Amino acid sequence: MPPVMINQDKGYSFGNEPISVNKTGEWRFLTPKKIKKLSPCSQGCLLDGEIPDWMEAVKKEEWAEAWNIMKRNNPFPALTGYVCFHPCSENCNRGQLDQELDIQAVEKKIGLWRLNNYKHETEPCSFKGRVAVVGSGPAGLSCAFYLTEAGYEVTVYEKSDLIGGMLALGIPEYRLPRKVLEQELQLLKNKGIIFITNSALGSDYSLADLYSKYDQVFVATGAWVARKALIPGEENKGVWNALELLSAYNRSKIPDLKNPVVVVGGGNAAVDSARSALRLPGVNQVSLVYRRGRIEMPADQSEVEAAEKEGVELIFNATPRKIETDQNQLSEIIFDYSKTNLNGLIIDCNKSFKKECKTVIMAVGQNADLSVLGLLDEAKTFIAGGDMISGPATVADAIRAGRIAAETIKSFLEGLPGPLDDPKEEVPILFEELNLAARLNMQPLKKQVDPVSEAGRCLGCGTCNSCGICYLFCPDLAVDNVGGRYEFNLDYCKGCGICVKECPARALVMEGGSE
Amino acid sequence: MKIEEMNRENEMIYSGHSACPGCGAALAVRFLTKTLGPNLAIALTASCWSIIAGVPPLTALKCPILHCPFPSAGSVGSGLRRGLNAKGMLDTTVVVLAGDGGTFDIGLQALSGAAQRNEDYIFVCYDNEAYMNTGMQTSSATPFGARTNTAPYPLFKEGQKKDIVQIMAAHSIPYAATATVAFPEDMENKFKFAKELKGFRFIHILSPCPPGWGTESSDTIELSRLAVSSGAFPLFEVKYGMEWRMTTPLEDKRTPLGDYLGIQRRFKDIDSERLKILQEEVNYEWELLQDKVRRSEILK
Repeated sequence: MPPVMINQDKGYSFGNEPISVNKTGEWRFLTPKKIKKLSPCSQGCLLDGEIPDWMEAVKKEEWAEAWNIMKRNNPFPALTGYVCFHPCSENCNRGQLDQELDIQAVEKKIGLWRLNNYKHETEPCSFKGRVAVVGSGPAGLSCAFYLTEAGYEVTVYEKSDLIGGMLALGIPEYRLPRKVLEQELQLLKNKGIIFITNSALGSDYSLADLYSKYDQVFVATGAWVARKALIPGEENKGVWNALELLSAYNRSKIPDLKNPVVVVGGGNAAVDSARSALRLPGVNQVSLVYRRGRIEMPADQSEVEAAEKEGVELIFNATPRKIETDQNQLSEIIFDYSKTNLNGLIIDCNKSFKKECKTVIMAVGQNADLSVLGLLDEAKTFIAGGDMISGPATVADAIRAGRIAAETIKSFLEGLPGPLDDPKEEVPILFEELNLAARLNMQPLKKQVDPVSEAGRCLGCGTCNSCGICYLFCPDLAVDNVGGRYEFNLDYCKGCGICVKECPARALVMEGGSE
Repeated sequence: MKIEEMNRENEMIYSGHSACPGCGAALAVRFLTKTLGPNLAIALTASCWSIIAGVPPLTALKCPILHCPFPSAGSVGSGLRRGLNAKGMLDTTVVVLAGDGGTFDIGLQALSGAAQRNEDYIFVCYDNEAYMNTGMQTSSATPFGARTNTAPYPLFKEGQKKDIVQIMAAHSIPYAATATVAFPEDMENKFKFAKELKGFRFIHILSPCPPGWGTESSDTIELSRLAVSSGAFPLFEVKYGMEWRMTTPLEDKRTPLGDYLGIQRRFKDIDSERLKILQEEVNYEWELLQDKVRRSEILK
């Protein structure tokens, strides 16, 4: 390089060589590094979702990217977008600033984007092995999805004529539109998953039959056997069990319920059947009776509030004693006062009351029917999951069980170590830890209607969401903008640590070298 | 600032310059050149930036730099402006870049002369509150109570910091303002506003200096933010020496000065009496400033 350069346009010019030949990165003894810490929403998520990551993709309207991140933990964002109880939002740090993010709305949007954009695609697959999945509920579908992604041929057996298990028969249409479920199932069929309906384990085939045809079996038949309250009059005409009612309702076979209706139970099945009953012709008086207090209800509180808003009468601390019949028709149900204390449920028979009713819906829990498995010692190792193992739980829990089952089956068949049951980090990033001062001019902003703007409110706790603060405050310009994402240029980074200190999301650390 | 625009190509500064890690002045000039560039000529007086700018044939900036002697910043800027005008380069922005020594002490007479003649350029003082380049000697920009290499333990700087913006405002120049690195948007707005004006414009930038102030290099932005929130370095602008206006929304409560001083080793063993004097000085200056702002509003 000549010390004096002749520039034809400007005359003589001297010293305009970039100083970038100085690799000032050599000065550095501490190096900034991008890391990922647990965010409160991910901690709350039943599916361990990487929520801040797909929020960032949605913010940039990179829907395909958002779906790719989403499917690592949740293959059915449309379904969970409708039915999940979003414990993620309850934890959201932004709630302490203005209002928590509506994470579910963004999730639903990703799910609907996928349903609309993957519709006609049949993905080619080469099969590594054959796996049978028994039960087409959320656990079975999720397991089938992940195994197909991993290159297995999956056949799903379903006892009923409808695919979807609880999704199709248990969850009423007002919570999950049938069209969404149908589209989701169509995508799974496009993927090459074979569905065999009207085929029940135990009666039509046994586990041993499956082992003769398949390399591995996943059993997720769910919990469909209604528990009994064991009270007189429970077998009378006019007493329904919740699942019976919900299946009938979901098959559009309108059950003949007589007004007034009393629902016994405090779980989601109870609330769903109360809300469904209220939607039936001729029913305008529905009471939901639960033996403990309101906060002890296992049902999701938002569902309970919705039921209350729709006009369901809620009665707490009452245990049914007897269902009375008058002239072949239910007349009333007698309740005793009950409450929980440290020893369990205390029932006070002296404080009882009668409630007039012509229909009673019992929703006091469901059990799994383990008899379908047959004699276990005849079968080889099989994997089971979902409600069948955990007892009645949420759709998200079942999807997670399916995912873990798929990982386990894959490692079984490929001789790999199984998925580790690594416990989540205990403490997520707290609101106080975030450096909001660095988010310049950040104004409190309430919930947005548009999911993309809503995603833009995400603070990205513990995850880099490309806010650019590290770039903005780097005195050495040692942060490169690579297609909207920021990478350190260690040739020039002097290791001052401003980026780490100023990172609003706390997604950077200094490492290497001790002081 | 849009995320797509934030990349190396849009900057006027090269990586690899020789500023210390965490240098506030490097950051300040990065914001300055990005806002005022690319059609920009800089007259640079002796200061840290004389070193940061690089030894020829290397340069840290994508615009021409004219190095000049310590006391001459104001005059060299005037000459550069008139020279460019004579060549017909009227749309080139001229910036004089000086440290606090070249502005508050050694360069004051040339600065005052240029301001009085209302020369048409932007004078930018990046203030790191001492002669940092030559080894941290006291300047008249050093705050009361700070320890420097010419006021070592048990001494400390006596007398308060010179109020340079008030001096400049007294020249009734079209625009004078303060800015600091923790508020790049505010700084950008001030440069943009100044660029559109004619005549002498003065911008005073507080740029924390990790080795000189005895702070962690990562604390630069935090210090700059604390200086503003404690009221030690209020952000404001003055038009024609009359219209005083605060440019940050006023917080009801200023943070205690102790938070700002506590993380600086130059104030390490400041006693409560000196801290009290400093706090009172800050409070007094703050009230004075608010008074001017209020009076300007009435004049409007």
